[in-house]
Amino acid sequence: MKQYDVIVIGAGNGGLAAAATCAKAGLSTLLLERHNIPGGSASSFVRGRFEFEPSLHELAGIETHKEMFERFGSEVDWYTHDSTFRLVVPAKEGDEGAFVNENGVLVTMDARMPVGFQNFAKKLEEIVPGSYDSCMAAFDLSERMFKIFDNLETPQKLVGSLKDFPDILRMVSHTMNEGLDALGMPKKAQDIFNTYWCYLGSPGSKLDFLYYLAMLHSYVKNGTGIPHLRSHEMSLAIDDSIRRNGGDVWYNSEVTKVIMNDGKPAAVVINGEKTVYGKYFICNSSPNSVWADLFDKKDIPAKQLKMLNARKIACTLTTVYLGMNKTKEELGITDYSVFIAPDTDSDKQYEAAQNYFSGYCIINCLNEIIPDCTPEGTSQLFLTTMTFGDVMKDIKPQDYKKFKTKVAQDMIETCEKALNISIKPYIEEIEIALPPTFARYLNTPLGTPYGYMLEKWDSMIPRTAQYMQDQPFDNFFFCGATQERGDGYGCAYYTGEKAGGIVVKKVKGGK
Amino acid sequence: MANLKSLKAKKFFPMLSERQGRFDSAKAELPQFGDNAMALAKALHPKRQYLKIAEVIERSEDCRSYTLVPDPDRGTTALAYFGAGKYLTVFETIEDMPVTRAYSISSSPKDSLEGRYVLTIKLVDGGLMSKFIFDTWTVGRDVEVSAPSGNFEYQPLRDAKKVVCLAGGSGITPFVSMANAIADGDEDFELTLLYGSRDAKNILFKEELDALQEKCDKIKVVHVLSNQKGRCPKEMEKGFITAELIRKYAPADEEYSIFLCGPQQMYAFVDKELEKLNLEKKYIRHEMFGEFHNPGTQEDYPADVPETVKITVTIQDKTYIVRGKSEDSVMQTLEKNGISVPARCRSGECGFCHSHLISGKVYVPAALEYRRLADYKFGCIHPCCSFPLTDLEINVPVAK
Repeated sequence: MKQYDVIVIGAGNGGLAAAATCAKAGLSTLLLERHNIPGGSASSFVRGRFEFEPSLHELAGIETHKEMFERFGSEVDWYTHDSTFRLVVPAKEGDEGAFVNENGVLVTMDARMPVGFQNFAKKLEEIVPGSYDSCMAAFDLSERMFKIFDNLETPQKLVGSLKDFPDILRMVSHTMNEGLDALGMPKKAQDIFNTYWCYLGSPGSKLDFLYYLAMLHSYVKNGTGIPHLRSHEMSLAIDDSIRRNGGDVWYNSEVTKVIMNDGKPAAVVINGEKTVYGKYFICNSSPNSVWADLFDKKDIPAKQLKMLNARKIACTLTTVYLGMNKTKEELGITDYSVFIAPDTDSDKQYEAAQNYFSGYCIINCLNEIIPDCTPEGTSQLFLTTMTFGDVMKDIKPQDYKKFKTKVAQDMIETCEKALNISIKPYIEEIEIALPPTFARYLNTPLGTPYGYMLEKWDSMIPRTAQYMQDQPFDNFFFCGATQERGDGYGCAYYTGEKAGGIVVKKVKGGK
Repeated sequence: MANLKSLKAKKFFPMLSERQGRFDSAKAELPQFGDNAMALAKALHPKRQYLKIAEVIERSEDCRSYTLVPDPDRGTTALAYFGAGKYLTVFETIEDMPVTRAYSISSSPKDSLEGRYVLTIKLVDGGLMSKFIFDTWTVGRDVEVSAPSGNFEYQPLRDAKKVVCLAGGSGITPFVSMANAIADGDEDFELTLLYGSRDAKNILFKEELDALQEKCDKIKVVHVLSNQKGRCPKEMEKGFITAELIRKYAPADEEYSIFLCGPQQMYAFVDKELEKLNLEKKYIRHEMFGEFHNPGTQEDYPADVPETVKITVTIQDKTYIVRGKSEDSVMQTLEKNGISVPARCRSGECGFCHSHLISGKVYVPAALEYRRLADYKFGCIHPCCSFPLTDLEINVPVAK
């Protein structure tokens, strides 16, 4: 009877990184994935002459990612980008500060933010006089914070070390809004500063200042990058690394049960028929589906169930993928990433996102970074909006297609209006992904790709500090968007590598 | 410069205990909350549907419709709803050989809510599955199918309001479903159907199409007969579906979409005709024509390919060595050797059979090339449309 050193459940970004870490360290590794390709959200799909990027907007802190792929001995062809975001808030009636922007649209806000701390702060000052110092103060804090983190090797050391850094403690235990208020940043500048809140799915009054600042820092410092051949390239590159290092990767192989022995997991059943044994388990699936579907009730540690009930499911996404029969120049698109928001304030954006469709829409044009990502004379766009809760609740299967089309139409028209461009006549291919689409591919509650809502009390530092005590068994570790760092490719890779590292250490007995 | 001193650092440590406290005081049971996203995902995309044949209808001497209903005894209580134009993959075992085929659903989406799918199947010369179905599918028999799949659907944000549908033979099936969906109010577009049949005797769904046309003014049907002996019936066209014929029935001063479904040979002919119409690419949509045969007839097929090859295939922890013909797809060879392969569309498009080619070379017909760009970089193939040129070593996911 073969017993693997480690069985990794789920080949999302976290599972891939975990399996690659274990295989590279020489552990006998089995990676199991219910779908026919790796990556979870990190994949691609083909419609007609277009290959779409399903989820990646950009990888922040691109150097960190390059290093990881180098560690895995995998080659990815990177394209980098040196702007961050453009925030456009169309004016509402009676809006006093409204002005007509370069697109000829009446707006309340139009901020195109560059890469580089100084550039970013200067631009902010230009838009909101009196904001430069507070912006630089924020980046100065994040610079110091990263230096401290770089010297911390293990999460166990984290809490103890933090005692010496009161500013970090202040940032962790206060919200984004409180932090920026303390730095004296004008409200309007805060709204621009907070634009990326949706990348962590938690608005200014809920998310801690530290984690938001850490994320923004990684975007602004050195710019961002994406793989040439959609996320599928990264996922296949890691799959390839696992195989080269002797690991097994089985697709169409869904774990349908975990078998216990002596109070802890000992084996998994695949597709209801094949049993495979392992010493250690790393799980990239959502804890909600793991506890509901894979374990007998009596075997679930009570704390795990309590955690499910104490936390809030994070946001869900809707994405419209468009293959356009015009170039970006012909369409009049000038930015990679434009955030169109119904309101400048992140909390008001959050409130609006409790329903379809809030008017919040991010429009990306991949050709801005990868000019040859579509055939000559064409381009690809993707539009993203987010929602919270059971927003699909009244939709019946027979209404779903019409509902999908309606949401897509609303999103497209919002972009057309906000940028004063025409999209609809040039759509050659369209695919629409709503929460049920993500639920189908990711098997997560409500279809969230983001795990649990990051809130001050349950954000990156508290999760990291208590990671070990939150794990269900001493041979079973979670990784992915539901863990320390929440959603995002880089966060999932990080948790996978970390869980892999823990298992490697345990198998090798600390050697 | 402003700083954070106004914020309390001491709040941090209580927050850590607050976190564990929140966990401690929560309920120790599986959470119950409304999750219609997951419910819809499961209802629309079941892994398998277990059905029974309720009725067999003879459409012509070589074409039958099978009405399929849910089989609650095997766990299927309702049918997955679908958009008109989608197909079902049928799973069968023929003499110990696992076989799959994709068939467009010919019934309306509305029928599925009442527990009814209709698959209309033409007996293909030398066709393994269609012959098996004709021989064994009788009322009461069990049938196993996939969830509705495919991308051959009307999309109002992409397609023109008026659609000229070009059908050949049993390629009529998705259009019957679309016409029904229009009549039911589930789809909203004007459908002009140019339907090519050999002769008046061989027209499928003649009465049903007549009735739909009668009932709904958004539907117009024109029969095009290629081999009609003697006089062509009134209001029917003689010959083939040419550019001229399309021009005759398409809107003169409005944009229109072309939807095409029929056999491989029909595509070769009609695609050339469509070029003369100078339509934008977005207005021409093809349904897949099913399994590809005789790769050797393709212009870019290389010379000196051995007649038979050895294929070493690993599925999970098992490795098999089989021999097959180079004119058969990798998938066909594996199936002929009793090895089940994940299969849905069998035309390259759906990517369900995505596999790793470890060594060797394959030929993929250009029309079936739907691989992702990174697949080339990392040696991935779709076995359903990959034809071996040398001995191969491949890694294939397990069928489920």
